[in-house]
Amino acid sequence: MRRWLLVLGVILGWALAGPAHAQGVAERPHTRVELLAETRTPAPGRTFTVGISFQPRPGWHTYWVNPGDAGMEPRAEWRLPAGATVTPLRFPVPKPYLVQGIMNHVYEGEAVLLADVTLPPGATGAVPLAVRLDWLVCDENMCVPESAELSLPLVVGDGAPDYLAAPRLAAARAALPQPLATPGRFQLADGRVRLWAPVAPQGVRRAHFFPLAHDVIDMAAPQALGQGADGLVLETAVASNPGSFKREVRGVLRLERDDGRVVGLELALRPGEVPPARPLGSAAAGQATFWTAFGLAVLGGLLLNLMPCVFPILSLKAMSLARAGASEAHARVEGLAYTLGVVASCLALGAVAIALARAGQGAGWAFQLQDPRVILFLMLLVWAIGLNFAGLFDVNLGAVRLGGGLARQGGAHGAFFTGALAAFVATPCTGPFMAGALGAALVLPWAAGLAVFAGLGLGLALPFLAIGFVPALRRHLPRPGPWMESFRRILAIPMWLTAVGLAWVLGRQAGVDAVAWGLLAALVLALGLWWWGRAQRGGRPSPVPALVAAAAFLAPLALPWPAALGGAGSAAAARVAGTVPEPFSPTALEARVRARTPTFLYFTADWCVTCKVNEKGALADAAVARAFRQAGIGVMVGDWTRPDPAIARFLAERGRAGIPLYLFYGADGRVEELPQILTVERLLALASRGSAAPA
Amino acid sequence: MRTLLSSLAAVIAMTAPASAAPTIGQPAPAFTATDAQGRVHRLADFRGRTVVLEWHNPECPFVKKFYDGGAMQKLQADARAKGIVWLTINSGAPGKQGHMTAEQALAYVKAQGLASTAYIPDPTGAIGRLYDARTTPHMFVIDPQGTLVYAGAIDDTPTANPADVARARNLVTAALADVAAGRPVATPTSRPYGCSVKY
Repeated sequence: MRRWLLVLGVILGWALAGPAHAQGVAERPHTRVELLAETRTPAPGRTFTVGISFQPRPGWHTYWVNPGDAGMEPRAEWRLPAGATVTPLRFPVPKPYLVQGIMNHVYEGEAVLLADVTLPPGATGAVPLAVRLDWLVCDENMCVPESAELSLPLVVGDGAPDYLAAPRLAAARAALPQPLATPGRFQLADGRVRLWAPVAPQGVRRAHFFPLAHDVIDMAAPQALGQGADGLVLETAVASNPGSFKREVRGVLRLERDDGRVVGLELALRPGEVPPARPLGSAAAGQATFWTAFGLAVLGGLLLNLMPCVFPILSLKAMSLARAGASEAHARVEGLAYTLGVVASCLALGAVAIALARAGQGAGWAFQLQDPRVILFLMLLVWAIGLNFAGLFDVNLGAVRLGGGLARQGGAHGAFFTGALAAFVATPCTGPFMAGALGAALVLPWAAGLAVFAGLGLGLALPFLAIGFVPALRRHLPRPGPWMESFRRILAIPMWLTAVGLAWVLGRQAGVDAVAWGLLAALVLALGLWWWGRAQRGGRPSPVPALVAAAAFLAPLALPWPAALGGAGSAAAARVAGTVPEPFSPTALEARVRARTPTFLYFTADWCVTCKVNEKGALADAAVARAFRQAGIGVMVGDWTRPDPAIARFLAERGRAGIPLYLFYGADGRVEELPQILTVERLLALASRGSAAPA
Repeated sequence: MRTLLSSLAAVIAMTAPASAAPTIGQPAPAFTATDAQGRVHRLADFRGRTVVLEWHNPECPFVKKFYDGGAMQKLQADARAKGIVWLTINSGAPGKQGHMTAEQALAYVKAQGLASTAYIPDPTGAIGRLYDARTTPHMFVIDPQGTLVYAGAIDDTPTANPADVARARNLVTAALADVAAGRPVATPTSRPYGCSVKY
């Protein structure tokens, strides 16, 4: 009995563990490798799939067929049954892994390499399949070559699938890159190359092209994703000693979609025309991006109400409505008309911004502020509004009455115009929330982009809309009285402060002559308005003073075009002669990134309030300066006070339409985008990351 | 603000010499280096002689492939005998695999019998970045006119198996023969293989 049990045990053990199975697997210190066959009983004359599974330990990786700048592809030497043939290995879609500026094309988890084996028609009996494997497995610090001999004792039979191996091989097949029938194109242009693939870029969050040849593209260089004609465009740097660009470039395109799916496409690129790509940016995120952008725009618009240039207009408007003690219907009409005015103004500015961005003019939100003529116009406008608040004159253009005058006029026209004005005046105060949202708006489809701009207007109009529709709110507004006149006069001060700020910007943009010219225009404007106000009070309205005031608004036309302004010394960098951050240029940045010099890159403009706050705050901190110096962090600045296509293109590539933008290029090759409100702690953290300390 | 700007400017001045990868057929980027014995070498001093640059990491299996059997030492000695300058450079950063102090490097050179002209620790990675050295080994050949004529792998068999050394075609030896014969280098580039340089 005992002997029988022993025999049974041996048989069971043999059947379960399977000595053959044990030979199909090898455990090495850093990798588990396994040989898989679709069937244990392959049919003669038929083809079946075999797989080699590499499973590195956590934190370790194995390599793709082109391992990248370092590393080694796995090698397989087959020992096949007599007369059998095997195809070259097919590799699943790899992942880019950049360590200290050196690109590795890797697999971090299990990777199953596939090949097809064909038995000769006359095969019979045992057809053992064996392979010798040599591979390299690395973590971020070291590499270990490993090797193993694996075999499977196959027997010729009916070709029935192995119920354990077949599903794994099917999954491995699904992880292979899909061959793309239509070839792509590539075009070389001064050291850069643009790759075009016939793939819809919608919903693609990240894309990376893995060339099969090592001497085609600079494998460690960033690949900028963009949208081309009927396809996707990647732009990157050419390898330093390019070799195989002449005929055809083959490789695998890895696409990460917004839903987290990874798709790989195997394709060939032929020489051809690839125009520069339009930015894809956050547009790729589709629906989710639209709603995020819309929400942020509404929020940003809401915050704009608190800005010094908008708050006076809003508060006076609100109080005029309260004072009117108007009927429900009347209040609603006012609220709607105001909203309409704000939204129309935002849509108009948005449409122009989108059109310019599409036309490649390198415009962003607040683009109009790069033009000194617009700055001067805004300055005069804000100045005139302040004078109006101060009581110098009343406005009565049609039904338009700024501030307090409206109650009596009670016109929907007036409310519309006030709204439009509020939105236009608000543009210099574009708040911190809005850069991302409006950046997305520029790259979203037309309709969606405009909807985001409308959302901005909606947010801006929301408080007044609420006052118009909710009587309880109106009742909570302060009781109207003579104090309102004084309040209105006080509110002239923030308007004038805004005018002073704009005068400063004008000076930085176009020099002291332009400021003098602008102040002269302001004086003429004030005189004209004063004369007009006297005439109004005297009951003898005359068109002449109004014309004098209007003439002042022609002053901006005398300013030079922005293109003619040359290097008018406005760059923020020129502030301290001799000790300046390096001015931004794509080539200089490229050189720094290549050299892995940790670099802090920021974009600023004199008309960007948030930028200036950061520069006077966290960026000016002595501790930050010390830490940057110790960590060897270089600083590069892009000044967007005046139009600059290179900066606009760079922002667009990052899916941004506005500034500020703060980027940190680490010595490890990673790029980090910093929040728009900088803190000293955040910058110090960069310094500790950017140092040469072992990573 | 002013102090920040001036200190930043100082940083930039220090880090300015940043450049892209060197190009075959162009002058090899100039550098000045201090070797493990404290001697200073300038690339310009070697004008008129062929120079080989070898990137090294004593713990990398691909480097060991050439050192454990003495193949690399023999290449170095053969080259020196022909008047060629051979600089072995280690760009491993402190704390990373393969980094050596000058003393450790001297001990290593003695124990392994290196025959190169100098062993150069490059702990900041400045020379490595200058040449865009990516792997160990990564080989460069500079001709007597100071022109970069070869950049890439040591041979055409990218494995870590020492048995492959004898079977492989050594691309550095081939490039040196071409330079000595006054021919253009037949294979001026190849894919460097090995461990990544531990910057």
